[in-house]
Amino acid sequence: MHPQLELLLELQDLKTQRRSLAEDGLSEVESAVFELRPSEALEILDGKIEELAGRLEAPVRARFSEVSQSLGRAVAPVLNGICYGCFVAIPTAWSSEVGRNDRINVCDHCGRFLYYVD
Amino acid sequence: MQQMQLRDFFSEDAIKLDLEAETKDEALKELVGLLGLDEKSQAILFKMLKRRENLGSTGIGRRIAIPHCRSLVVNRLRVAFGRKPGGLDFDAIDKKPVQNIFLIVAPPLEVSNQYLPVLGKIAQFGKESDIPERLAAIETPEEFLALLEEKGV
Ligand SMILES: [Zn+2]
Repeated sequence: MHPQLELLLELQDLKTQRRSLAEDGLSEVESAVFELRPSEALEILDGKIEELAGRLEAPVRARFSEVSQSLGRAVAPVLNGICYGCFVAIPTAWSSEVGRNDRINVCDHCGRFLYYVD
Repeated sequence: MQQMQLRDFFSEDAIKLDLEAETKDEALKELVGLLGLDEKSQAILFKMLKRRENLGSTGIGRRIAIPHCRSLVVNRLRVAFGRKPGGLDFDAIDKKPVQNIFLIVAPPLEVSNQYLPVLGKIAQFGKESDIPERLAAIETPEEFLALLEEKGV
């Protein structure tokens, strides 16, 4: 896997975690069952997100923040040849390639970074 | 519509009644290993679970831990169960060793949104007073599944 893609995945996972803690019912479960203090957790997550974002190469980072701002999620999984960001099919020439996660792929349609899930 | 049952999410090959792990990290890795993902995905998932643990332990007390996270590396909700009869230090809320670990991992977006209900059901299951003893007495994965069914979760 391309090291920058790995970083993008981690970053997107952390942002997902942040979003769930801030918005949906998860925060309730996290505090009731796990005794987590969501506000403290959010602060820690923000620090971690910033740290990881700082390790992205400039062009990758620029796209990441641009797409995050306009579309919410900047990294989309590809399942069965479909970008799960915009639900448009990826040209088959790429999607069947071996080692396709070894480079940085971007969806032609929505501009999100693509991660091929097996 | 039929109600969601926890049992339907567990497969026998993701149930391990004698974890080899001696530490919390090893236990997380061993449980992730039960999901049959490629090595890179396992490593990313382990990191995410660790980050969640760093916010606060998922050891909820009464020998039970429920590590959980969402990650892009899975394509659907996955669960696993691991038991360590001798117990593990998990930094649990009650500071006691953990013997029963339920792993829950879900993709960032799910069509049917099962992550939260499954997490809630496992937490509810873990709170039943006889569960630690019942889990300790189980001898086969089938018995584990039967216990989930019996409890109607
Ligand atoms: Zn797309």
